Amino acid sequence: MGDHQENIYELRPATIMRTLPQIRDHRLFQLKLDDGGSWESFGHQPGQFIEVSIFGKGEAPISISSPPTRCDSLEICVRRAGKLTNALFALGKGSRLHIRGPYGRGFPVETLKGKKLLFVAGGLGLAPLRSLLLYVLDRRHEFDDLILMYGTNNPDNVLFKYELLSFFDREDIKYLYSVDRDEEGIWKQYVGVVTGLFDRTTLSPQDTYAVLCGPPIMYRFVVERLLRLGFPKEHIYMSLERMMKCGLGKCGHCAIGDRYCCTDGPVFNLSEIENIKEAI
Amino acid sequence: MKLLAKENVPEVLRAWSGQYKILCPAKKEQGDCIFDTFDEDTFTLDYRKPPMPPKSAVFPPSSVLFSVQQGNYTRVPSEERSLLFGIRSCDLMGLHQLKSFYLRDKEDIYVQKKMDDIVVVVHACSRPQNETCFCTTMQSGPYAEHGFDLQLFDMENDFLVEVGSDVGRTLTSLDAFTEFTEADAAERISLIKQKAFDSIPLVPDVAKAMDILKETGACDEVWERLGSKCITCGGCVYVCPTCTCFTVTDRVFAHENGERIRSWDTCLYGGFTREASGHNPRPTQGSRLKRRHEHKLLYYNEVDIQGTLSGCVGCGRCSDFCPVHIGTLEVVKAIVDKTA
Repeated sequence: MGDHQENIYELRPATIMRTLPQIRDHRLFQLKLDDGGSWESFGHQPGQFIEVSIFGKGEAPISISSPPTRCDSLEICVRRAGKLTNALFALGKGSRLHIRGPYGRGFPVETLKGKKLLFVAGGLGLAPLRSLLLYVLDRRHEFDDLILMYGTNNPDNVLFKYELLSFFDREDIKYLYSVDRDEEGIWKQYVGVVTGLFDRTTLSPQDTYAVLCGPPIMYRFVVERLLRLGFPKEHIYMSLERMMKCGLGKCGHCAIGDRYCCTDGPVFNLSEIENIKEAI
Repeated sequence: MKLLAKENVPEVLRAWSGQYKILCPAKKEQGDCIFDTFDEDTFTLDYRKPPMPPKSAVFPPSSVLFSVQQGNYTRVPSEERSLLFGIRSCDLMGLHQLKSFYLRDKEDIYVQKKMDDIVVVVHACSRPQNETCFCTTMQSGPYAEHGFDLQLFDMENDFLVEVGSDVGRTLTSLDAFTEFTEADAAERISLIKQKAFDSIPLVPDVAKAMDILKETGACDEVWERLGSKCITCGGCVYVCPTCTCFTVTDRVFAHENGERIRSWDTCLYGGFTREASGHNPRPTQGSRLKRRHEHKLLYYNEVDIQGTLSGCVGCGRCSDFCPVHIGTLEVVKAIVDKTA
């Protein structure tokens, strides 16, 4: 094998087309490729992620928030949390960065086709789930009923607010929303943890697939509730978060038992990880 | 079979060094022996297991992934061809495990280039290197079955030389290598092998511990107790022939100029799994030790182990160097004692 061989760590230059502030410390970035490549040929699937690179700050795994049905740009919704994301927030329209990807096994789109769907998101968990949500809405006829449950800690922390509000006008998605706390008393919907929303709808566990995306604590409670309702384990999918440094199953940081979150996941079926203690 | 007089080894290495960068056993001032670039003054054949495995030759502690200029990333190719002289069969297995790990699924071009360019002369062990050797248990020694270019068997004043590849055959074209034509060559080799194998005691606790991990897992108390002893130095990882984890950092020379570096990292460090949010899926030292040992003894991949028993090759270095006695030998014993 000669030098023509592909370097799996190779980076692609990209430019920030727009930045859209979301809530405090959360921003949506729209990217375009600088090497002439299109997002269609990028070939990302809902639930996959990219490595974003800013020289001097290293790389960080960021989930893709836009679906492959919308390839004008690639959208990433980022919380300012670490070194890389802080540097990213200092960049504006027209700034250059580098990316690698798409990586990982996304949501099981083919399995979900024709099925009733229950999406449960918590906080920034909506960022990866949005790629699947918009995919389903763009190809609505390929899927059965859709329920979205979304919980945040307070009314100020709703991501993609206007997109979500528009769902109230739609007949083809049932949207349930909760906030953990509402100190100012402005919230007209459910106040309490996201599992409380299960009391506000009826589900048919045998022919519904649940897709979860949120913090680890949410998984514990939601999985328990779903199992209690009679969801088969095979019908429960979740996207796990780990320090996925390389995205290629080499660096070792994201190992979960005998799996690598970055290549075997980040989306796992409950039956795949229920016996791995450290998984959730 | 070829024969090489031990006194001719330096001459042979000198000849080979025209073509390769030779890494061989070298005596250091303090009496330690390490693998170092060939130098006739420090070269020695009187050596035991060096503290560091030859892992660095294909996966250096720190290496440049990209040179960065004006914000553009360029891969830095490696041109060096190394010849590892005198490594032990456990370390050879370590190299093959490392190679298999980095080349499976998506190939890591950096490791692949170095592996392609490396030539290996194994020195078969005729006795344990020290009391922590357990290669016979892990099926990685005391001699290599395959995957080497040359293998040397100790015969007092000479080495019996087994050729393992075409490159190896070319290496033996020097005059110092003579034909070994004795009719009983094969028999003598198998006697040497048997004697060596018998000299290294089997450690039944390893297989027992592996079974326990597979069936029920070790009780949490084992990991908690070991975790409270561990001082998080990471030494066991650094001396391990099969540890492959790395982290990536940027070395900035000027704005948009510098290098992207990959360096060894370890699952024993608290920050290894900590996410930007602050959440850490492995929050205690016990959970991190559990990870490291389960990766070696339970969660290894069939492709990676290259015919050995598990992800550990039984070199015993972690037991040699852990300042608080949490090497693999101590860990398997703890698992078996606690669960028995």
